[in-house]
Amino acid sequence: MEGKKKIALSRHALILGGLAVVLLVLVIVFFTGGTGEKVKRFIDANVPKPPESGGAEPVSKTVTLFFIADDDDLLHKETREITAGPTVADEAERALAELIRGSEKGFVSPLPPPTKVRQIFVAKNGLATVDFSREIAEGFAYGSTSELAAVYAVVDTLVFNFPAVKKVVILVEGVEKETLGGHVDLTRAFLPDYSLVAK
Amino acid sequence: MIGALAAALFVFVHLPSARADQAAGQAARIQTVVIDPGHGGMEAGAKGKFGNLEKDITLAISLKLKALIERNLGLSVVLTRDRDVDVTNENRAAVANNHKAGLFISIHANGAVQRKAGGSETFFLSLNATDEETRRLAYLENNSSELQTRIDPSSDDDLMMILWDMAQTAYIKRSSRLAELVQEELDAMLGTRNRGIKQAPFKVLTGVACPAILVEAAFISNPDEEQKLASAAFQARVAEAIYRGLARYIRMTE
Repeated sequence: MEGKKKIALSRHALILGGLAVVLLVLVIVFFTGGTGEKVKRFIDANVPKPPESGGAEPVSKTVTLFFIADDDDLLHKETREITAGPTVADEAERALAELIRGSEKGFVSPLPPPTKVRQIFVAKNGLATVDFSREIAEGFAYGSTSELAAVYAVVDTLVFNFPAVKKVVILVEGVEKETLGGHVDLTRAFLPDYSLVAK
Repeated sequence: MIGALAAALFVFVHLPSARADQAAGQAARIQTVVIDPGHGGMEAGAKGKFGNLEKDITLAISLKLKALIERNLGLSVVLTRDRDVDVTNENRAAVANNHKAGLFISIHANGAVQRKAGGSETFFLSLNATDEETRRLAYLENNSSELQTRIDPSSDDDLMMILWDMAQTAYIKRSSRLAELVQEELDAMLGTRNRGIKQAPFKVLTGVACPAILVEAAFISNPDEEQKLASAAFQARVAEAIYRGLARYIRMTE
C-alpha cells in the first residue's frame, strides 16, 4: 500500500517535471527565437505589399540605385533587378545590398564595401530605420562631399523606389550615431535630396 | 512626436531675448566671431594621399583667420579649439552661444571618394524639414520679434535638446548671405573650381544661434589640392578670402 502510493507520487512528480521542462523550453524559444523578424513583420503589416504573381518562380522588381561618378560629384541612377517581396523592408534591404555591392556601369558606390545592412524597419508613418554595420562609419575617412554622397545615396535609393518610405533614419550597429565622419547630422530623419542627382 | 514638435515650435517662439534683437531685422552689432577648426584629436577628418590630415589644415587656416580679423576688424575672436584636441559638435556650438557670437565660421577641408573631385565651396544649414515644418520655420523667421521671453532653464531636457537643435533655423537667410560673400572671395582668390554655395544638414551648424557657415577650402582627397592645402601660402589665401567675405558682410549689416 505504502509502496504503491510512493510509485504513484513519483510518477506524478515525473509528469509535472516534464511539463515544467517543456514550458521552460517554450518560454526560452519565445523570448530568444527570431524576435527581430517578428518586430519587422509586425511593423510591415500595414505597409502595402508589392503585387505577387501566382507562379512559384521568384518575382523580380526593378529598382533604381544612386551611385557616384568619377568625373563629377553628382549621384547617377542605375537600374537593377532584385527579388520581389514579401515585405517592403525585405526589398529595401536587397536594394541597399546592391547599392553597397556597386555599379555594373563603371560608377562608384558611395558606401564602404564591407558595410552590411543589419536590419530595416519600415513604420506605417513612412519612416524607414536602416541599421548599418560599423563599417559604414569606419570604412572611409569622410569629407563633407563623400559623407553627403553616402547618406543621400541611401536615402534617395529608399524613398525613390519605395512609396511606403517617406523619411529615413540611419543607425550604426543598432544605435543612434551623431555623424558618420563628423559632418552630416544623423540624429534627425532625412528627406530625399534629388538636387544631387545627375539629370 | 508631432505633439512634441509642435510644443517645441511653440516654446521656440519664446526663445532667448538676447538673440531676439538680432533675429529681428536690425542685426545687433557683431562683437565676437567664433572660428571652428574642423575635427581634432582622435577625429582626424578626411585624409590625403600624402598623409595630410584635415584636422591640421583646418587649425592652421583658423589661426591665420583669427589674426586677420583681430588685426583688421578689431573684433574679438574665439576659437572652438586652438590645438589638436577632440571637441564635440555640441561644445563647438556652445562656445559660440556662450560667447554671444555674432558670426560662426567652421573651417574644413573636403574629401571625396573620387580623386579627381576638387574645388572650394561654402555651406550653410539645410533644415531637412517637411513642407509643414518649413512653413512654420518661415513664420518664425519673419516674426522673430516674437522671440521674447527667455526659456525656462528648468524645462524638460528633451525639449531643451530640440530647441538647441533648432537654434540655427532663425538665421538661415543671413547665413546664406554670408556664405555667398565668402564664396565670392574664395573664388576670386584661390584659383580652385568654384563649387558655389550649398545647403547641408551639418551637425556642427545646428546648435549655433547666429549666422553660421562651413567653408570647404579645397579637397584634401585630391593630390594637387592636398599639396596646396598643406602650404602656408595657400592657407593664408584661404584665410584672407574668408576674412574679406566676412568684412563685406559686416559692412553690409551695420
